[in-house]
Amino acid sequence: MFLAWNEIKSAKLRFSLIVGVLTLMSYLVFLLSGLANGMATLNREAVDQWRASAIILSQDASSSLAQSTVTLHDASGISGKQTAEIAQILATIRKSGTNHKESAVIMGVQKGQFIAPKVTEGRMFNRVNETVVADSLKANGLKLGDQLSISSSAQKLMIVGFTHNAEFNLSPVVYTSIAAVQKIKYGSADLSGKGLIGGIVVRDPNVDRIKVGSKLQVIPIESFIENIPGYTPEKITFEFMIYFLFVIVCVTIGIFLYVLTIHKTSIFGILKAQGISSGFLIRSVIAQTFLLAVFGVLAGFLFTVITGFFLPAAAPITLNYPILVFYGCIFILVAMIGSLFSVQTIVRIDPLKAIGG
Amino acid sequence: MAVLELLHVSKIYGKGHTEVTALKPIRFSADKGELIAVIGPSGSGKSTFLTIAGGLQKPTGGSVFINGRDLTRLNEKKRALIRLREIGFILQSSHLVPYLTVDNQFRLLDRVKKRNMNKDEREKLLSDLGIRKLKKKYPADLSGGEKQRVAIAKALYTNPSLLLADEPTASLDSGRAFEVMSILSHETKEKNKATIVVTHDNRLIHYCDKVYTIVDGELTPLSGTDSADAET
Repeated sequence: MFLAWNEIKSAKLRFSLIVGVLTLMSYLVFLLSGLANGMATLNREAVDQWRASAIILSQDASSSLAQSTVTLHDASGISGKQTAEIAQILATIRKSGTNHKESAVIMGVQKGQFIAPKVTEGRMFNRVNETVVADSLKANGLKLGDQLSISSSAQKLMIVGFTHNAEFNLSPVVYTSIAAVQKIKYGSADLSGKGLIGGIVVRDPNVDRIKVGSKLQVIPIESFIENIPGYTPEKITFEFMIYFLFVIVCVTIGIFLYVLTIHKTSIFGILKAQGISSGFLIRSVIAQTFLLAVFGVLAGFLFTVITGFFLPAAAPITLNYPILVFYGCIFILVAMIGSLFSVQTIVRIDPLKAIGG
Repeated sequence: MAVLELLHVSKIYGKGHTEVTALKPIRFSADKGELIAVIGPSGSGKSTFLTIAGGLQKPTGGSVFINGRDLTRLNEKKRALIRLREIGFILQSSHLVPYLTVDNQFRLLDRVKKRNMNKDEREKLLSDLGIRKLKKKYPADLSGGEKQRVAIAKALYTNPSLLLADEPTASLDSGRAFEVMSILSHETKEKNKATIVVTHDNRLIHYCDKVYTIVDGELTPLSGTDSADAET
Protein backbone atom coordinates (compact mmCIF):
# COMPACT_ATOMS: atom_id res chain seq x y z
CA MET A 1 0.00 0.00 0.00
CA PHE A 2 2.90 2.31 0.91
CA LEU A 3 4.72 1.94 -2.41
CA ALA A 4 1.43 1.89 -4.31
CA TRP A 5 0.06 5.07 -2.77
CA ASN A 6 3.31 7.02 -3.05
CA GLU A 7 3.62 6.08 -6.69
CA ILE A 8 0.06 7.23 -7.40
CA LYS A 9 0.80 10.54 -5.67
CA SER A 10 3.95 11.13 -7.69
CA ALA A 11 2.44 10.30 -11.09
CA LYS A 12 -0.98 11.89 -10.81
CA LEU A 13 -1.66 12.29 -14.52
CA ARG A 14 -0.84 8.68 -15.42
CA PHE A 15 -3.02 7.28 -12.66
CA SER A 16 -5.84 9.81 -13.22
CA LEU A 17 -6.13 8.48 -16.75
CA ILE A 18 -6.46 4.91 -15.49
CA VAL A 19 -8.99 5.97 -12.85
CA GLY A 20 -10.82 7.89 -15.60
CA VAL A 21 -11.19 4.76 -17.71
CA LEU A 22 -12.32 2.75 -14.68
CA THR A 23 -14.81 5.50 -13.81
CA LEU A 24 -16.38 5.37 -17.26
CA MET A 25 -16.58 1.60 -17.15
CA SER A 26 -18.11 1.48 -13.68
CA TYR A 27 -20.56 4.21 -14.72
CA LEU A 28 -21.58 2.06 -17.68
CA VAL A 29 -21.98 -1.01 -15.46
CA PHE A 30 -24.13 0.95 -13.02
CA LEU A 31 -26.33 2.50 -15.72
CA LEU A 32 -26.79 -0.85 -17.46
CA SER A 33 -27.78 -2.42 -14.18
CA GLY A 34 -30.20 0.48 -13.62
CA LEU A 35 -31.61 -0.01 -17.10
CA ALA A 36 -31.95 -3.79 -16.63
CA ASN A 37 -33.63 -3.17 -13.32
CA GLY A 38 -35.90 -0.49 -14.79
CA MET A 39 -36.98 -2.66 -17.71
CA ALA A 40 -37.61 -5.61 -15.40
CA THR A 41 -39.71 -3.39 -13.16
CA LEU A 42 -41.81 -2.16 -16.08
CA ASN A 43 -42.41 -5.76 -17.02
CA ARG A 44 -43.32 -7.16 -13.65
CA GLU A 45 -44.22 -4.56 -11.05
CA ALA A 46 -47.99 -5.05 -11.34
CA VAL A 47 -47.50 -8.76 -10.69
CA ASP A 48 -45.13 -8.01 -7.79
CA GLN A 49 -47.92 -5.93 -6.21
CA TRP A 50 -50.07 -9.06 -5.94
CA ARG A 51 -47.52 -10.82 -3.72
CA ALA A 52 -48.92 -14.02 -5.20
CA SER A 53 -47.40 -17.51 -5.12
CA ALA A 54 -48.80 -18.90 -8.36
CA ILE A 55 -51.22 -18.39 -11.19
CA ILE A 56 -53.51 -21.02 -12.69
CA LEU A 57 -53.97 -20.79 -16.46
CA SER A 58 -55.38 -23.08 -19.11
CA GLN A 59 -52.99 -25.84 -20.19
CA ASP A 60 -52.82 -24.67 -23.81
CA ALA A 61 -52.01 -21.04 -22.99
CA SER A 62 -48.28 -21.71 -22.56
CA SER A 63 -47.95 -19.47 -19.50
CA SER A 64 -49.51 -16.47 -21.23
CA LEU A 65 -52.37 -14.82 -19.36
CA ALA A 66 -53.64 -13.09 -22.51
CA GLN A 67 -54.07 -16.41 -24.27
CA SER A 68 -55.57 -18.31 -21.36
CA THR A 69 -59.29 -18.97 -20.94
CA VAL A 70 -60.81 -20.49 -17.83
CA THR A 71 -64.51 -20.70 -17.00
CA LEU A 72 -65.76 -19.10 -13.81
CA HIS A 73 -67.07 -22.55 -12.86
CA ASP A 74 -63.58 -24.07 -13.03
CA ALA A 75 -62.23 -21.07 -11.13
CA SER A 76 -64.62 -21.56 -8.24
CA GLY A 77 -63.36 -25.13 -7.80
CA ILE A 78 -59.78 -24.10 -7.01
CA SER A 79 -58.69 -24.75 -3.43
CA GLY A 80 -56.07 -22.40 -2.06
CA LYS A 81 -55.67 -20.10 0.90
CA GLN A 82 -56.48 -16.98 -1.14
CA THR A 83 -57.58 -16.98 -4.75
CA ALA A 84 -58.55 -14.17 -7.12
CA GLU A 85 -60.03 -14.32 -10.58
CA ILE A 86 -58.35 -12.31 -13.30
CA ALA A 87 -59.21 -11.52 -16.91
CA GLN A 88 -56.84 -9.73 -19.19
CA ILE A 89 -56.78 -8.19 -22.64
CA LEU A 90 -54.13 -6.20 -24.48
CA ALA A 91 -55.61 -3.10 -26.08
CA THR A 92 -54.90 0.35 -27.35
CA ILE A 93 -56.57 3.05 -25.31
CA ARG A 94 -57.38 6.55 -26.47
CA LYS A 95 -58.56 9.52 -24.46
CA SER A 96 -61.97 10.35 -25.93
CA GLY A 97 -61.90 13.47 -28.02
CA THR A 98 -58.16 13.26 -28.68
CA ASN A 99 -55.95 11.25 -30.97
CA HIS A 100 -53.43 10.32 -28.32
CA LYS A 101 -53.14 6.52 -28.25
CA GLU A 102 -51.38 4.34 -25.75
CA SER A 103 -51.05 0.57 -25.54
CA ALA A 104 -52.24 -0.77 -22.25
CA VAL A 105 -52.99 -3.97 -20.43
CA ILE A 106 -56.61 -4.10 -19.30
CA MET A 107 -57.03 -6.32 -16.26
CA GLY A 108 -60.37 -7.37 -14.94
CA VAL A 109 -60.37 -8.08 -11.21
CA GLN A 110 -62.97 -8.59 -8.49
CA LYS A 111 -63.33 -5.73 -6.05
CA GLY A 112 -62.20 -6.82 -2.58
CA GLN A 113 -59.94 -9.64 -3.75
CA PHE A 114 -56.21 -9.37 -3.00
CA ILE A 115 -55.14 -8.44 -6.55
CA ALA A 116 -57.48 -5.44 -6.66
CA PRO A 117 -55.42 -2.24 -7.07
CA LYS A 118 -54.65 -0.04 -4.07
CA VAL A 119 -56.15 3.28 -5.05
CA THR A 120 -53.73 6.16 -4.42
CA GLU A 121 -55.91 8.90 -5.87
CA GLY A 122 -59.67 9.05 -6.54
CA ARG A 123 -61.71 5.98 -5.64
CA MET A 124 -62.23 2.32 -6.56
CA PHE A 125 -64.37 1.45 -9.61
CA ASN A 126 -67.99 0.56 -8.77
CA ARG A 127 -69.72 0.25 -12.11
CA VAL A 128 -68.90 -1.67 -15.26
CA ASN A 129 -67.75 1.44 -17.13
CA GLU A 130 -65.35 2.70 -14.46
CA THR A 131 -61.63 2.13 -14.18
CA VAL A 132 -58.58 2.64 -11.95
CA VAL A 133 -55.43 3.15 -14.05
CA ALA A 134 -51.66 3.21 -13.56
CA ASP A 135 -50.53 6.66 -12.43
CA SER A 136 -47.77 6.59 -15.06
CA LEU A 137 -50.56 7.53 -17.50
CA LYS A 138 -50.78 10.92 -15.80
CA ALA A 139 -47.60 11.81 -17.68
CA ASN A 140 -49.68 11.44 -20.86
CA GLY A 141 -52.18 14.01 -19.65
CA LEU A 142 -54.84 11.63 -18.33
CA LYS A 143 -56.76 12.73 -15.25
CA LEU A 144 -59.74 11.74 -13.12
CA GLY A 145 -63.00 11.85 -15.04
CA ASP A 146 -61.45 11.26 -18.48
CA GLN A 147 -63.19 8.81 -20.80
CA LEU A 148 -61.07 6.13 -22.44
CA SER A 149 -61.99 4.57 -25.77
CA ILE A 150 -60.82 1.02 -26.24
CA SER A 151 -59.65 -0.20 -29.65
CA SER A 152 -61.99 -2.62 -31.42
CA SER A 153 -64.74 -2.14 -28.85
CA ALA A 154 -67.61 0.25 -28.27
CA GLN A 155 -67.07 -0.01 -24.51
CA LYS A 156 -65.81 3.18 -22.86
CA LEU A 157 -64.19 3.44 -19.46
CA MET A 158 -64.13 6.45 -17.14
CA ILE A 159 -61.08 7.01 -14.95
CA VAL A 160 -62.21 7.18 -11.32
CA GLY A 161 -58.90 6.41 -9.64
CA PHE A 162 -55.13 6.02 -10.02
CA THR A 163 -52.81 3.39 -8.57
CA HIS A 164 -49.03 3.17 -8.06
CA ASN A 165 -46.59 0.64 -9.50
CA ALA A 166 -48.94 -0.80 -12.08
CA GLU A 167 -46.86 -1.70 -15.14
CA PHE A 168 -47.04 -5.06 -16.86
CA ASN A 169 -45.11 -6.12 -19.96
CA LEU A 170 -43.82 -2.54 -20.43
CA SER A 171 -47.40 -1.19 -20.55
CA PRO A 172 -49.53 0.59 -17.98
CA VAL A 173 -52.32 -1.46 -16.43
CA VAL A 174 -55.94 -0.37 -16.65
CA TYR A 175 -57.90 -2.07 -13.86
CA THR A 176 -61.57 -2.62 -14.27
CA SER A 177 -64.21 -5.23 -13.47
CA ILE A 178 -64.23 -8.71 -14.97
CA ALA A 179 -67.59 -7.95 -16.59
CA ALA A 180 -66.09 -4.94 -18.39
CA VAL A 181 -63.22 -7.03 -19.78
CA GLN A 182 -65.71 -9.67 -20.96
CA LYS A 183 -67.71 -6.96 -22.71
CA ILE A 184 -64.59 -5.66 -24.46
CA LYS A 185 -63.37 -9.13 -25.38
CA TYR A 186 -66.60 -11.00 -26.19
CA GLY A 187 -69.16 -8.23 -26.64
CA SER A 188 -71.20 -9.11 -23.57
CA ALA A 189 -70.69 -9.89 -19.89
CA ASP A 190 -71.33 -13.38 -18.53
CA LEU A 191 -70.76 -13.87 -14.84
CA SER A 192 -72.42 -17.31 -14.72
CA GLY A 193 -70.41 -20.54 -14.42
CA LYS A 194 -69.91 -20.58 -18.20
CA GLY A 195 -68.44 -17.05 -18.24
CA LEU A 196 -64.81 -16.87 -19.37
CA ILE A 197 -61.89 -15.29 -17.53
CA GLY A 198 -58.10 -15.51 -18.04
CA GLY A 199 -56.95 -17.31 -14.91
CA ILE A 200 -56.81 -17.51 -11.15
CA VAL A 201 -54.11 -15.89 -9.02
CA VAL A 202 -53.27 -17.86 -5.87
CA ARG A 203 -51.63 -16.71 -2.67
CA ASP A 204 -50.74 -19.84 -0.70
CA PRO A 205 -47.38 -21.00 0.70
CA ASN A 206 -48.16 -24.61 -0.26
CA VAL A 207 -48.72 -24.22 -3.96
CA ASP A 208 -47.69 -27.84 -4.58
CA ARG A 209 -50.80 -29.13 -2.84
CA ILE A 210 -53.23 -27.35 -5.16
CA LYS A 211 -54.98 -29.85 -7.41
CA VAL A 212 -56.38 -28.72 -10.74
CA GLY A 213 -58.13 -30.47 -13.61
CA SER A 214 -56.25 -31.70 -16.68
CA LYS A 215 -57.15 -28.59 -18.69
CA LEU A 216 -55.52 -26.30 -16.14
CA GLN A 217 -51.96 -25.74 -15.06
CA VAL A 218 -50.45 -24.26 -11.86
CA ILE A 219 -47.56 -21.90 -12.73
CA PRO A 220 -45.31 -20.55 -9.96
CA ILE A 221 -45.44 -16.76 -10.12
CA GLU A 222 -41.70 -16.37 -10.86
CA SER A 223 -41.92 -18.64 -13.90
CA PHE A 224 -45.07 -16.75 -14.99
CA ILE A 225 -42.99 -13.53 -14.89
CA GLU A 226 -40.12 -15.16 -16.78
CA ASN A 227 -42.60 -16.01 -19.51
CA ILE A 228 -43.81 -12.43 -19.96
CA PRO A 229 -43.00 -11.79 -23.64
CA GLY A 230 -39.52 -10.25 -23.92
CA TYR A 231 -38.77 -10.36 -20.20
CA THR A 232 -36.21 -13.17 -20.13
CA PRO A 233 -34.40 -12.28 -23.39
CA GLU A 234 -34.04 -8.69 -22.16
CA LYS A 235 -32.76 -9.80 -18.81
CA ILE A 236 -30.23 -12.17 -20.36
CA THR A 237 -29.05 -9.47 -22.78
CA PHE A 238 -28.42 -6.97 -20.00
CA GLU A 239 -26.74 -9.54 -17.79
CA PHE A 240 -24.54 -10.60 -20.66
CA MET A 241 -23.50 -7.00 -21.32
CA ILE A 242 -22.69 -6.45 -17.65
CA TYR A 243 -20.71 -9.68 -17.33
CA PHE A 244 -18.87 -8.89 -20.53
CA LEU A 245 -18.00 -5.46 -19.16
CA PHE A 246 -16.48 -7.16 -16.14
CA VAL A 247 -14.27 -9.23 -18.44
CA ILE A 248 -13.24 -6.03 -20.27
CA VAL A 249 -12.44 -4.36 -16.95
CA CYS A 250 -10.31 -7.32 -15.92
CA VAL A 251 -8.34 -7.33 -19.17
CA THR A 252 -8.00 -3.53 -19.38
CA ILE A 253 -6.64 -3.09 -15.89
CA GLY A 254 -4.50 -6.17 -16.50
CA ILE A 255 -2.91 -4.48 -19.51
CA PHE A 256 -2.42 -1.16 -17.71
CA LEU A 257 -0.78 -2.74 -14.70
CA TYR A 258 1.29 -5.06 -16.86
CA VAL A 259 2.70 -2.13 -18.84
CA LEU A 260 3.41 -0.23 -15.62
CA THR A 261 5.14 -3.30 -14.19
CA ILE A 262 7.31 -3.72 -17.28
CA HIS A 263 8.12 -0.03 -16.97
CA LYS A 264 9.25 -0.61 -13.38
CA THR A 265 11.31 -3.73 -14.04
CA SER A 266 14.60 -2.07 -13.15
CA ILE A 267 13.25 -0.51 -9.95
CA PHE A 268 11.75 -3.82 -8.88
CA GLY A 269 15.06 -5.51 -9.74
CA ILE A 270 16.96 -3.15 -7.47
CA LEU A 271 14.46 -3.68 -4.67
CA LYS A 272 14.79 -7.43 -5.10
CA ALA A 273 18.59 -7.13 -5.02
CA GLN A 274 18.22 -5.35 -1.71
CA GLY A 275 16.35 -8.38 -0.48
CA ILE A 276 12.76 -7.13 -0.76
CA SER A 277 10.63 -10.17 -1.60
CA SER A 278 8.55 -10.68 -4.76
CA GLY A 279 5.58 -11.13 -2.43
CA PHE A 280 5.95 -7.59 -1.12
CA LEU A 281 6.11 -6.20 -4.66
CA ILE A 282 3.14 -8.28 -5.81
CA ARG A 283 1.09 -7.12 -2.83
CA SER A 284 2.03 -3.58 -3.69
CA VAL A 285 0.79 -3.96 -7.30
CA ILE A 286 -2.46 -5.56 -6.11
CA ALA A 287 -2.91 -2.82 -3.50
CA GLN A 288 -2.40 -0.24 -6.22
CA THR A 289 -5.08 -1.85 -8.38
CA PHE A 290 -7.39 -1.91 -5.39
CA LEU A 291 -6.90 1.82 -4.80
CA LEU A 292 -7.41 2.66 -8.50
CA ALA A 293 -10.53 0.48 -8.73
CA VAL A 294 -12.00 1.95 -5.53
CA PHE A 295 -11.47 5.50 -6.86
CA GLY A 296 -12.97 4.50 -10.22
CA VAL A 297 -16.00 2.82 -8.66
CA LEU A 298 -16.64 5.69 -6.23
CA ALA A 299 -16.47 8.25 -9.03
CA GLY A 300 -18.69 6.08 -11.26
CA PHE A 301 -21.14 5.67 -8.39
CA LEU A 302 -21.21 9.42 -7.81
CA PHE A 303 -21.94 10.11 -11.49
CA THR A 304 -24.67 7.45 -11.43
CA VAL A 305 -26.35 9.04 -8.40
CA ILE A 306 -26.16 12.48 -10.04
CA THR A 307 -27.57 11.02 -13.26
CA GLY A 308 -30.37 9.46 -11.21
CA PHE A 309 -31.47 12.93 -10.04
CA PHE A 310 -31.68 14.33 -13.54
CA LEU A 311 -33.33 11.38 -15.27
CA PRO A 312 -36.63 12.15 -16.99
CA ALA A 313 -39.52 10.14 -15.55
CA ALA A 314 -39.95 8.34 -18.87
CA ALA A 315 -36.41 6.87 -18.80
CA PRO A 316 -36.70 3.24 -17.77
CA ILE A 317 -33.79 3.39 -15.33
CA THR A 318 -34.36 2.35 -11.75
CA LEU A 319 -31.29 2.50 -9.51
CA ASN A 320 -31.26 -0.23 -6.92
CA TYR A 321 -28.49 0.81 -4.53
CA PRO A 322 -27.81 -2.58 -2.90
CA ILE A 323 -27.34 -4.05 -6.40
CA LEU A 324 -25.05 -1.16 -7.39
CA VAL A 325 -22.93 -1.75 -4.28
CA PHE A 326 -22.78 -5.44 -5.13
CA TYR A 327 -21.69 -4.71 -8.72
CA GLY A 328 -19.18 -2.16 -7.38
CA CYS A 329 -17.57 -4.86 -5.21
CA ILE A 330 -17.45 -7.29 -8.15
CA PHE A 331 -15.89 -4.52 -10.25
CA ILE A 332 -13.10 -4.01 -7.70
CA LEU A 333 -12.61 -7.75 -7.43
CA VAL A 334 -12.27 -8.35 -11.19
CA ALA A 335 -9.87 -5.40 -11.46
CA MET A 336 -7.69 -7.03 -8.80
CA ILE A 337 -7.86 -10.32 -10.69
CA GLY A 338 -6.62 -8.38 -13.73
CA SER A 339 -3.57 -7.21 -11.81
CA LEU A 340 -2.56 -10.84 -11.31
CA PHE A 341 -1.34 -10.89 -14.93
CA SER A 342 1.72 -9.04 -13.64
CA VAL A 343 2.56 -11.55 -10.91
CA GLN A 344 4.59 -13.84 -13.13
CA THR A 345 6.54 -10.88 -14.53
CA ILE A 346 7.48 -9.70 -11.05
CA VAL A 347 8.52 -13.18 -9.95
CA ARG A 348 10.71 -13.51 -13.05
CA ILE A 349 12.55 -10.21 -12.59
CA ASP A 350 16.21 -11.09 -12.05
CA PRO A 351 17.88 -8.73 -9.58
CA LEU A 352 21.21 -9.56 -11.21
CA LYS A 353 20.13 -7.98 -14.51
CA ALA A 354 18.98 -4.85 -12.72
CA ILE A 355 22.43 -4.38 -11.30
CA GLY A 356 24.04 -4.99 -14.63
CA GLY A 357 26.21 -7.87 -13.46
CA MET B 1 34.96 -14.95 12.16
CA ALA B 2 35.13 -13.17 8.84
CA VAL B 3 31.99 -11.33 7.73
CA LEU B 4 32.47 -12.49 4.15
CA GLU B 5 34.47 -15.50 3.08
CA LEU B 6 34.83 -16.89 -0.44
CA LEU B 7 36.38 -20.37 -0.65
CA HIS B 8 37.56 -21.69 -4.04
CA VAL B 9 34.86 -19.65 -5.69
CA SER B 10 34.84 -19.72 -9.48
CA LYS B 11 32.38 -18.74 -12.18
CA ILE B 12 32.12 -20.06 -15.70
CA TYR B 13 29.51 -18.79 -18.15
CA GLY B 14 28.34 -20.91 -21.09
CA LYS B 15 29.47 -24.36 -22.19
CA GLY B 16 31.81 -25.85 -24.79
CA HIS B 17 32.97 -23.32 -27.38
CA THR B 18 31.16 -20.43 -25.74
CA GLU B 19 32.65 -21.14 -22.35
CA VAL B 20 33.99 -18.03 -20.61
CA THR B 21 35.75 -18.10 -17.28
CA ALA B 22 34.61 -14.96 -15.50
CA LEU B 23 36.22 -15.81 -12.20
CA LYS B 24 39.12 -18.17 -11.58
CA PRO B 25 39.07 -20.05 -8.28
CA ILE B 26 39.73 -17.49 -5.56
CA ARG B 27 40.01 -17.23 -1.84
CA PHE B 28 38.92 -14.02 -0.25
CA SER B 29 37.81 -12.79 3.15
CA ALA B 30 36.68 -9.52 4.68
CA ASP B 31 36.61 -8.73 8.38
CA LYS B 32 34.79 -6.17 10.49
CA GLY B 33 36.16 -2.65 10.18
CA GLU B 34 37.89 -3.37 6.87
CA LEU B 35 37.47 -1.27 3.75
CA ILE B 36 38.65 -3.30 0.77
CA ALA B 37 38.97 -2.15 -2.82
CA VAL B 38 38.77 -4.49 -5.80
CA ILE B 39 40.18 -2.69 -8.81
CA GLY B 40 39.96 -3.83 -12.37
CA PRO B 41 39.08 -2.69 -15.88
CA SER B 42 35.63 -3.35 -17.29
CA GLY B 43 35.12 -6.97 -18.26
CA SER B 44 37.63 -8.13 -15.69
CA GLY B 45 35.05 -10.02 -13.64
CA LYS B 46 34.65 -7.53 -10.84
CA SER B 47 30.87 -7.32 -11.18
CA THR B 48 30.72 -11.12 -11.18
CA PHE B 49 32.80 -11.09 -8.01
CA LEU B 50 30.48 -8.56 -6.35
CA THR B 51 27.22 -10.25 -7.33
CA ILE B 52 28.47 -13.63 -6.12
CA ALA B 53 29.63 -12.08 -2.84
CA GLY B 54 26.21 -10.46 -2.52
CA GLY B 55 24.30 -13.67 -3.13
CA LEU B 56 22.74 -12.40 -6.35
CA GLN B 57 24.07 -15.34 -8.32
CA LYS B 58 25.55 -18.71 -7.47
CA PRO B 59 29.18 -19.51 -8.27
CA THR B 60 30.01 -22.48 -10.52
CA GLY B 61 32.20 -23.91 -7.77
CA GLY B 62 33.18 -23.12 -4.20
CA SER B 63 31.32 -21.67 -1.24
CA VAL B 64 30.33 -18.16 -0.13
CA PHE B 65 29.98 -17.63 3.60
CA ILE B 66 28.33 -14.60 5.12
CA ASN B 67 28.73 -14.60 8.90
CA GLY B 68 29.31 -18.33 8.69
CA ARG B 69 26.25 -19.20 6.57
CA ASP B 70 26.91 -20.82 3.21
CA LEU B 71 24.91 -18.84 0.62
CA THR B 72 25.43 -21.45 -2.10
CA ARG B 73 23.29 -23.90 -0.14
CA LEU B 74 20.31 -21.54 0.15
CA ASN B 75 17.44 -20.97 -2.27
CA GLU B 76 16.65 -17.52 -3.72
CA LYS B 77 14.06 -16.76 -1.06
CA LYS B 78 16.50 -17.38 1.78
CA ARG B 79 19.30 -15.54 0.00
CA ALA B 80 16.96 -12.56 -0.40
CA LEU B 81 16.45 -12.62 3.35
CA ILE B 82 20.22 -12.67 3.95
CA ARG B 83 20.62 -9.76 1.53
CA LEU B 84 17.97 -7.84 3.41
CA ARG B 85 19.43 -8.52 6.84
CA GLU B 86 23.17 -8.66 6.32
CA ILE B 87 24.10 -6.79 3.16
CA GLY B 88 23.87 -3.14 2.17
CA PHE B 89 24.21 -2.50 -1.56
CA ILE B 90 25.48 0.78 -2.97
CA LEU B 91 25.15 0.71 -6.72
CA GLN B 92 26.51 2.66 -9.63
CA SER B 93 23.70 5.02 -10.43
CA SER B 94 22.49 5.03 -6.82
CA HIS B 95 19.20 3.36 -7.83
CA LEU B 96 16.76 5.11 -5.58
CA VAL B 97 13.03 4.45 -6.08
CA PRO B 98 12.06 7.45 -8.25
CA TYR B 99 8.60 7.98 -6.78
CA LEU B 100 9.64 8.03 -3.11
CA THR B 101 10.97 11.07 -1.25
CA VAL B 102 14.26 10.63 0.57
CA ASP B 103 12.38 10.19 3.83
CA ASN B 104 10.09 7.56 2.29
CA GLN B 105 13.07 5.60 0.95
CA PHE B 106 13.83 4.85 4.60
CA ARG B 107 10.19 4.22 5.51
CA LEU B 108 10.03 1.59 2.77
CA LEU B 109 12.87 -0.26 4.48
CA ASP B 110 11.00 -0.03 7.78
CA ARG B 111 8.16 -1.87 6.12
CA VAL B 112 10.24 -4.81 4.95
CA LYS B 113 12.76 -5.19 7.77
CA LYS B 114 12.80 -4.84 11.52
CA ARG B 115 15.83 -3.82 13.60
CA ASN B 116 16.66 -0.88 11.37
CA MET B 117 18.12 2.23 12.97
CA ASN B 118 15.89 4.09 15.39
CA LYS B 119 14.86 7.67 14.81
CA ASP B 120 17.83 9.27 16.61
CA GLU B 121 20.36 7.05 14.85
CA ARG B 122 18.76 7.84 11.53
CA GLU B 123 18.84 11.58 12.15
CA LYS B 124 22.51 11.33 13.12
CA LEU B 125 23.29 9.30 9.99
CA LEU B 126 21.52 11.87 7.81
CA SER B 127 23.42 14.77 9.38
CA ASP B 128 26.74 12.86 9.17
CA LEU B 129 26.11 12.48 5.45
CA GLY B 130 24.83 16.04 5.11
CA ILE B 131 21.46 15.09 3.67
CA ARG B 132 19.09 16.04 6.50
CA LYS B 133 17.63 18.91 4.54
CA LEU B 134 16.82 16.70 1.55
CA LYS B 135 14.21 14.55 3.29
CA LYS B 136 11.22 15.89 1.39
CA LYS B 137 12.89 15.76 -2.03
CA TYR B 138 12.46 13.22 -4.80
CA PRO B 139 15.57 11.59 -6.33
CA ALA B 140 15.06 13.55 -9.56
CA ASP B 141 15.62 16.78 -7.60
CA LEU B 142 18.98 15.63 -6.15
CA SER B 143 22.45 16.10 -7.58
CA GLY B 144 24.61 13.05 -8.36
CA GLY B 145 26.58 13.42 -5.14
CA GLU B 146 23.43 13.86 -3.06
CA LYS B 147 21.87 10.76 -4.62
CA GLN B 148 24.98 8.75 -3.85
CA ARG B 149 24.99 9.93 -0.23
CA VAL B 150 21.30 9.00 0.11
CA ALA B 151 22.12 5.59 -1.35
CA ILE B 152 24.92 5.14 1.22
CA ALA B 153 22.58 6.19 4.02
CA LYS B 154 20.00 3.73 2.74
CA ALA B 155 22.55 0.92 2.69
CA LEU B 156 23.70 1.71 6.24
CA TYR B 157 20.18 2.23 7.57
CA THR B 158 19.38 -1.47 7.77
CA ASN B 159 22.45 -2.11 9.98
CA PRO B 160 24.08 -4.60 7.60
CA SER B 161 27.32 -6.31 8.52
CA LEU B 162 28.59 -6.19 4.93
CA LEU B 163 28.55 -3.21 2.55
CA LEU B 164 29.02 -3.90 -1.14
CA ALA B 165 29.63 -0.88 -3.36
CA ASP B 166 29.72 -1.14 -7.15
CA GLU B 167 31.52 1.88 -8.66
CA PRO B 168 30.07 4.20 -6.00
CA THR B 169 31.98 7.17 -7.44
CA ALA B 170 31.40 6.50 -11.13
CA SER B 171 29.20 9.47 -11.89
CA LEU B 172 30.98 11.94 -9.58
CA ASP B 173 33.78 14.49 -10.02
CA SER B 174 37.00 14.01 -8.05
CA GLY B 175 35.97 16.20 -5.12
CA ARG B 176 32.65 14.36 -4.69
CA ALA B 177 34.31 10.99 -5.25
CA PHE B 178 36.82 11.57 -2.46
CA GLU B 179 34.04 12.81 -0.21
CA VAL B 180 32.02 9.63 -0.80
CA MET B 181 35.10 7.47 -0.12
CA SER B 182 35.90 9.27 3.12
CA ILE B 183 32.28 8.81 4.24
CA LEU B 184 32.50 5.09 3.43
CA SER B 185 35.81 4.78 5.26
CA HIS B 186 34.46 6.64 8.29
CA GLU B 187 31.26 4.59 8.48
CA THR B 188 33.19 1.34 8.06
CA LYS B 189 35.37 2.11 11.07
CA GLU B 190 32.72 3.70 13.25
CA LYS B 191 29.98 1.10 12.66
CA ASN B 192 32.43 -1.81 12.38
CA LYS B 193 31.29 -3.02 8.95
CA ALA B 194 33.15 -4.95 6.33
CA THR B 195 33.03 -2.83 3.17
CA ILE B 196 34.04 -3.88 -0.32
CA VAL B 197 34.31 -1.29 -3.07
CA VAL B 198 34.54 -2.50 -6.65
CA THR B 199 35.93 0.18 -8.93
CA HIS B 200 38.21 0.96 -11.85
CA ASP B 201 39.34 4.19 -10.20
CA ASN B 202 42.91 3.90 -8.87
CA ARG B 203 42.70 7.19 -6.99
CA LEU B 204 40.47 5.63 -4.37
CA ILE B 205 42.98 3.14 -2.99
CA HIS B 206 44.33 5.59 -0.40
CA TYR B 207 41.11 5.23 1.55
CA CYS B 208 41.27 1.43 1.64
CA ASP B 209 42.82 -0.99 4.10
CA LYS B 210 43.42 -3.65 1.48
CA VAL B 211 43.47 -3.50 -2.29
CA TYR B 212 43.01 -6.32 -4.77
CA THR B 213 43.32 -6.16 -8.51
CA ILE B 214 41.23 -8.31 -10.77
CA VAL B 215 42.30 -9.02 -14.33
CA ASP B 216 40.66 -11.64 -16.56
CA GLY B 217 38.91 -13.16 -13.59
CA GLU B 218 42.04 -13.52 -11.52
CA LEU B 219 42.02 -11.81 -8.13
CA THR B 220 45.43 -10.86 -6.70
CA PRO B 221 46.40 -8.77 -3.67
CA LEU B 222 48.13 -5.57 -4.72
CA SER B 223 51.67 -5.38 -3.43
CA GLY B 224 52.72 -2.18 -1.71
CA THR B 225 49.72 -2.13 0.58
CA ASP B 226 49.32 -4.16 3.72
CA SER B 227 47.26 -6.65 1.78
CA ALA B 228 49.56 -9.57 2.43
CA ASP B 229 47.48 -10.67 5.39
CA ALA B 230 44.47 -11.10 3.12
CA GLU B 231 45.62 -14.62 2.54
CA THR B 232 45.26 -15.59 6.18
